[in-house]
Amino acid sequence: MEWLIFAVLGTWLIVSALGVVFVKNPVHSILFFLSSLLAMAGIFISLGAELLAGLQLVIYAVAIVVFYVLVITTIPWEKVKRFEGFYGKELTMSAPALVVLFLLMAYMVLKGEFAKPVGVVKDNLREVGKALFTSYLFPFEVASVILLVAMVGAILLGRREEG
Amino acid sequence: MSIEKAYILLSIALFLIGLLGVIVRKNLITILVSTELMLNGINLTLVVADKVIGAVHGQIMAFFVLTVAAAEVAIGLGLVVAIFRLKGYEGSSEITHLRD
Repeated sequence: MEWLIFAVLGTWLIVSALGVVFVKNPVHSILFFLSSLLAMAGIFISLGAELLAGLQLVIYAVAIVVFYVLVITTIPWEKVKRFEGFYGKELTMSAPALVVLFLLMAYMVLKGEFAKPVGVVKDNLREVGKALFTSYLFPFEVASVILLVAMVGAILLGRREEG
Repeated sequence: MSIEKAYILLSIALFLIGLLGVIVRKNLITILVSTELMLNGINLTLVVADKVIGAVHGQIMAFFVLTVAAAEVAIGLGLVVAIFRLKGYEGSSEITHLRD
C-alpha cells in the first residue's frame, strides 16, 4: 500500500518538477510548481508529518505562489516573452553531469545503511510542538527576526527612489 | 530496498532537477522557482530522516527551512523587480556587469 502511494505521488512530483524546468511560459511554470507542492504535501502526510504538510499548503501553496504571480503581473509581458524557455547549450552540458551525480548519490544511498532508531514517536504533532517550544525556543525566536528583516528588506528594495 | 531509501532517492532527484532549472532557465523569476524546488527536496530528506530514526528534530529543521524560504522569496523577488525597474533586465544573460 505504501509503495502504491509512493509510486503515485512520486511520479506526480517528478513530472511536475520537470514541467517547472522545461515548460516555456513562466506562468505555466509556476502552475507546475503549485502541482508539485500539492504532491509534496501528500508525501508529508503519508510520512506522518501532518503539521509540515499543513504549513506546506499554507505557506508555499498560498503565500509564495500568489506572491510570484503578483510579481509577474508587475513586469511588462513583452519583456518576459523575450526571455522564456531555457538555454539549449547549457542543457546539453549540464544534464549528463547531473545524471552522473544522481547515479553516484543513488549508489551511496543504496549501499549505505541508516542510523539505528533512537525512539518511537507516538503523537507526532504533540512531539513537534513540545520540541519547538522547549529545546528549539531560541531558533524559533530568531526565525521571527529573520522574517522581520526580510520584510524590512523587501520594503527597502521595492521603494521608489526619490530624487 | 526499504521505502525510506526510495524516498531519499526521490528527494535527491528533486534537488537535482531544481539545480538543472537554476542552470538552464532564462528568466530570473523561474530561476527563483527552481531554487524553491531545491528547498523542497531538502525538506523531504529531513522528514524521511525523521521517520528513519524516530525523532522530530528533522521536522523542526524543515520548519526553519520553510521560514527561510519565505524570507528568501520576499528578498529575491524584490531584487528581481528592482533590477528590472533600474536596468530593464529580465533575462539572466543580460546581467553581466556588477556596476556600470
